[in-house]
Amino acid sequence: MKRYIARRLLQGVVLLFMVATIVFFLGRLTGNPVDLMLPEDATAEDRANLTQTLGLDGPLGEQFLIFAGKALHGDLGNSIRMKQPAVDAFFDRLPNTLVLIPWALLLGMVLGIPLGVVAALNRGGLLDRAAGTIAVLGVAMPSFWLGILLIFVFSVELGWLPSSRMGGPAHYVLPVITLGTFLVAGFMRITRSAMLEVMESEFVKLARIKGLSETAVIWKHCLRNALIPVLTLWGVFVSNLITGAIVTETVFAWPGIGRLTYEAVIYRDFPLLQAVIILKSILILVINLGVDILYAYVDPRIRLA
Amino acid sequence: MFRHFASAVALGVAMAVVASPLCAQDQKGTLVFAVESLGAQTLDPILEGRPGNAVYQAVMYDSLVGFDLAKGGVGPGVAERWELSADGLTWSFFIRPNQVFHNGDKLTAHDVKFSLERQMGPGSLASAAASMRRTIKSIEVVDDLTVKVNTNNPQLGLPAGLSRAVAPEGAIMPKNYIEKVGEEEFRKKPIGSGPWKFVRNVPGDRIEFTAVTTPHWRGRPHFKDLHLLLVPEESTRVAMVRTGEAAIASIGPETMLSATRGGLEVLSVPGTMQAIFQFWGTWKPELKDSPIAKPRVRQALSLAIDRKQVIEHVMNGRARLPHPFATFAYTEYFSAARWEKWAAEAYRYDPALAKKMLAEEGYPNGFELRFANTALPGTQFMVDIGTAIADMWTKVGVKVTLKHYEWGSFAPMERGDQAGLIGWASMYRTAGRPDAPWRYDGAFSPESTQRLLGDKDNCGETCQEYVKTYRALIAELDRTKRTALTDRMVEITSNSWTVVPILEGMGYYAINTRRVGQFEAIPGRHELGDVFERIPRPEQKPWKK
Repeated sequence: MKRYIARRLLQGVVLLFMVATIVFFLGRLTGNPVDLMLPEDATAEDRANLTQTLGLDGPLGEQFLIFAGKALHGDLGNSIRMKQPAVDAFFDRLPNTLVLIPWALLLGMVLGIPLGVVAALNRGGLLDRAAGTIAVLGVAMPSFWLGILLIFVFSVELGWLPSSRMGGPAHYVLPVITLGTFLVAGFMRITRSAMLEVMESEFVKLARIKGLSETAVIWKHCLRNALIPVLTLWGVFVSNLITGAIVTETVFAWPGIGRLTYEAVIYRDFPLLQAVIILKSILILVINLGVDILYAYVDPRIRLA
Repeated sequence: MFRHFASAVALGVAMAVVASPLCAQDQKGTLVFAVESLGAQTLDPILEGRPGNAVYQAVMYDSLVGFDLAKGGVGPGVAERWELSADGLTWSFFIRPNQVFHNGDKLTAHDVKFSLERQMGPGSLASAAASMRRTIKSIEVVDDLTVKVNTNNPQLGLPAGLSRAVAPEGAIMPKNYIEKVGEEEFRKKPIGSGPWKFVRNVPGDRIEFTAVTTPHWRGRPHFKDLHLLLVPEESTRVAMVRTGEAAIASIGPETMLSATRGGLEVLSVPGTMQAIFQFWGTWKPELKDSPIAKPRVRQALSLAIDRKQVIEHVMNGRARLPHPFATFAYTEYFSAARWEKWAAEAYRYDPALAKKMLAEEGYPNGFELRFANTALPGTQFMVDIGTAIADMWTKVGVKVTLKHYEWGSFAPMERGDQAGLIGWASMYRTAGRPDAPWRYDGAFSPESTQRLLGDKDNCGETCQEYVKTYRALIAELDRTKRTALTDRMVEITSNSWTVVPILEGMGYYAINTRRVGQFEAIPGRHELGDVFERIPRPEQKPWKK
């Protein structure tokens, strides 16, 4: 197990280096912050001055070496726009995103898993098709469209909920639904296919032969085993929520790391963009590693492999 | 005599004691404004650009030179007047007396000198820092209320450059306070002299201010508090105004109709920008046989544009026919009425004449034109305008290859050898500002980035004529002669048809009339940073139905 963890950690380090390199060079291919900070009629002199002030005047290779050297010491630079350490900016906003994620996951599981079970039990039937439609809608509906639709219905027309921004419990409802709808579909589909597979297993047949009630067979024996792949997917979903919160946080003016990423891209705030992507990658690596370790404990076949 | 004096003093003291609480009582409620960007969201003026400064820093900082509130353009600010020395090398600014910072310190000429030097100093991200360092020789404090700015050569546009009507570099900061607490502490607890005091800055979310309770030359706020909320999505901003969560939100022309249908008032701010199209490198030897190297072809392309249709359908009727490039009704030293008349004729829609001119120039079946469509952040409607005019050119036989660019990737193409743009036309815009020469220099000077008429090695007849006129203009101290030279500069460039205005745009706001009373913005200034203090509560001045 220790070797497994060590191997995964090493892979993570290599992956992080690749991510950092790609983000550094890709970001610079798309323009520079000076053009977005200065008015369109700025003189060449003012542009050169600001480029120098921001430390963007050296050769690209040299800039990368400076960045990589500092990054090894945990310094990911200062945000050009916010004039504060990029790492601090990330951790200032991270809690705002993290408070949404458990609720979105809960919504996804509470609705998605039972729907998946019901769909599996009614394979090919009306309920299965209805659940399938929900799954397709959940995946197909763009979150910016769903978010705006929810705002229009529940805030503007009905006046039941605040339209946006962080605040009391009521402020969480619409962003959580927007984030969680995708998860409902995801959990539903994976639960359905896992349930169908498990329901064909020998131990299920044995349980039935032993005379256990159908409720006990389905909800105790089948679902418990079907949840193992769901557990793996949990890590993927959390990663999706972390990276996919950009749209939801933008629509709902939620000051989390999704919005921070959006702002870093829009303003070509290279140090902030690099820091956000690297720190998000670390977060996702840690979560996935945690889930994989958990999975390895739950399912011995993984350990042995 | 002594009794009268004593009574007057007693009355004065009593009024002063009573006035503050009364004023405070008269200020009620919170004015909530939802905006798409809070820029760098820093309260230190040397770290912010022009739009951010005008949105939220203007709220708490006064500018050395202010606005003409009715007409737009330059007007009194921290300095109530200014004058130029006979040799044109020294500007004297006369500071308005009895101004104070929020900590009670008096605002004096020392603060003005300190602020200008801070804007020019190392670490300043002010867009004009380098230009200021080059043009300003020294700054002297004559007395507490007079400051002199000595320049290396005549700088007639200096007051405009220190006005928030143009740029943020005139923001006045408290010298004693910053020197006492240091820059870091100042950035955490900023102090200005404006009608609103800083309360809280939540990065990525909001900035909160509270009104000063004493009279202020810009106007004492009617609301007690002001919250500026960062809401990037336009539909969400409009929803917030409809639900009353915000009183005012910035919107684009594409949202105007839905805002009106939703029962909101839409406020238009005239003369905030011009949408233009321009041709790149037409003077280059390698383009001598290109259709766009011919001024009459360029003029024909202008005649092929139905500007009224664009205004009606893209801008929902809330825009107007433009003046010539980078000029507005409030442009200084400029015969605005004469040019408005000229523009109405020159920028007319006449596709038949456009086709005839193209045929006369040897293109009866049109030609192939590459067109870069782009928009600055926050002006997405520019892309729609670009698409519309490309379609109109197609109707007169021009085969347009349209390519869309995000602004961040378009801007670098302007520089260096402009390889990606030579021989192309592109969308562009120019912001509303009263000093035309500055903008003309950036577009047409052979040393400029854009150099649309020629460069140092290839400066043809029109280019040389422009250079001669521009040089005479920036050195001219006489008002009448300066106006004549501005008109001449506009004439030369307009007749070259290298940069062609499409329309004069406006700034737009969706307003919940149950949250704020009727108000007007400052012509030419999209942002409301200098307007909030004059916005009444709804019961004070209801909107006319």
